Amino acid sequence: PCRDTARALGHSPASLVPCRIMPVRWSRYNPSYLEPEVKKESYEKPLEELSEEEREQMELKTVRPIKAAPPTLSSSVFSDPMISKFTNMMMKSGNKVLARSLMSQTLEAIKRKQLEKYHKAPENEKETIECNPYVIFHQALKNCQPIIGLSNITRGGKTYQVPVPLTDNRKRFLAMKWLITECRENKHRRTMMPEKLSQELLLAFNNEGPVIKKKHVLHKMAEANRAYAHFRWW
Amino acid sequence: LRLICTTTAVQRKNAGASGPEKYTEAFIKKQIEEFNLGKRHLANMMGEDPETFTQEDIDRAIAYLFPSGLFDKQARPMMKHPTEVFPEQRKIQWGEDGRPFHFLFYTGKQSYYSLMHETYEKFLNVQKHQDQLIAQDLPLQKEKRNLAGSRWLSKIELEEMLLEKLSDDDYSRFIQLLEKLVALPCADIEENYIRKFSKEVPVQLQKVVIEPLQYDEQGVAFSTGEGKRKTARATAVVYDNGTGKITVNGTDILHYFPVLQDREQLLFPFQFLGRIGKHDMVCTVSGGGRSAQAGAIRLASAKALRSFVTEKEVEFMRQAGLLTVDPRVKERKKPGQEGPRRKFTWKKR
Repeated sequence: PCRDTARALGHSPASLVPCRIMPVRWSRYNPSYLEPEVKKESYEKPLEELSEEEREQMELKTVRPIKAAPPTLSSSVFSDPMISKFTNMMMKSGNKVLARSLMSQTLEAIKRKQLEKYHKAPENEKETIECNPYVIFHQALKNCQPIIGLSNITRGGKTYQVPVPLTDNRKRFLAMKWLITECRENKHRRTMMPEKLSQELLLAFNNEGPVIKKKHVLHKMAEANRAYAHFRWW
Repeated sequence: LRLICTTTAVQRKNAGASGPEKYTEAFIKKQIEEFNLGKRHLANMMGEDPETFTQEDIDRAIAYLFPSGLFDKQARPMMKHPTEVFPEQRKIQWGEDGRPFHFLFYTGKQSYYSLMHETYEKFLNVQKHQDQLIAQDLPLQKEKRNLAGSRWLSKIELEEMLLEKLSDDDYSRFIQLLEKLVALPCADIEENYIRKFSKEVPVQLQKVVIEPLQYDEQGVAFSTGEGKRKTARATAVVYDNGTGKITVNGTDILHYFPVLQDREQLLFPFQFLGRIGKHDMVCTVSGGGRSAQAGAIRLASAKALRSFVTEKEVEFMRQAGLLTVDPRVKERKKPGQEGPRRKFTWKKR
């Protein structure tokens, strides 16, 4: 139906990319508006290096209107879409200021811990220690992402847990959700969130810790329920 | 998917396709004759030359002779050519003996089905041509049609062309058929036919006029811009040869925006263009909250920077989303619900 309404407004076929990020029900923007590209590097590339698809995409962008960049997105090196997503998930009752300060304190804590390890380590191991908190965050998140998930399918009155492949968005969401719930629940009353989060992230970076365990448990359950995999019809 | 934002084209009702004809051809002819006669009389009355009396002159004369204080422009007295007043409608489709002219009349949508037939005929034609080329071992032309610069006719425009109502399904089927036709390598043969159904889309950038730089007393170049976001309105003046100082409503940004995110947004256009230490900015902002004010200033400064920068960079700024007004506003509360989306707590009894 969104394709038909888009077509009825006369939008050319090349723009009807299968919607990756569908608006909830409706958005204030006309469907012909494209997402903004904020990274400076993509504009510095000369014409020759682009592939066919990228060239088409560029031509399409010159003709179509573009949405406004949201306030969380910026071209500075410090803004990262993954970190913003994580900050939004940590946010409670719209208190973005607090969530963002917690996030920055977490990254600072990670950096401090890694620098301590770096200075204590012998010469030959110094290169293996990763100090960039962004890299650690991304890697930890990647390690926490499950590959396969379970979904409830009801057949003949009984509900079975059927192993099901997950989309990228869902994997990222589950990883972030697990990290946050883990940090909120399983900590001592007096520990601060940044401390606990940095601890969890470092453990996840080394493939240890409760979140990784949870991921493995999910994988084992999926493996155990392999027999029901044929219940899935999509 | 319900569209909140609709263009005027969607809202305009297609009168031509509404039903069988209400005015006979003879009636329209008579109206045209009367209009031309009346035009000459009017020219005589105004003391102008009847031969070179244009529609604008008619409008001016009517506004002078019949002044009206009515608010709606459509309700005021007007004198226009009958083809503009009486919408183009389909003439009666059957002869005196009651037999319809078109062979597809009894399908109900004769123009639509005849159009589909024609398009499919062209499709088969192209395939035949392709087969001939393959039989003669000649290479097939593979020129890629530029999709970005053109769009298909919208449903309303197609309805106007066919003078017949179409459903969404019909329209999408027609577009699918056209796309299939265009996808064939030898579709260039039917280029004329395809051109009837496609429209040029102008490049977005050309719609906006960039103001030139202004110079103040010391000879320093500056430029102004206005921006808005939610309820906040901002004006920014960007000066050249500066040190990167930004003043908002008389105070420094460090004091006005204690939150890092807002300051990041203010510096976003400068950082994107790589001109952080080179410009000074003085802005005034009112209304909205802290994030809305930051967004409004960001838009204002981006608009002001357009005058300092090459056209290519302006296009890059537009593609980065710096020059679009953010249309998102607070959604209204609906009756029967607690908020814009939240429903009241469901109680079983």
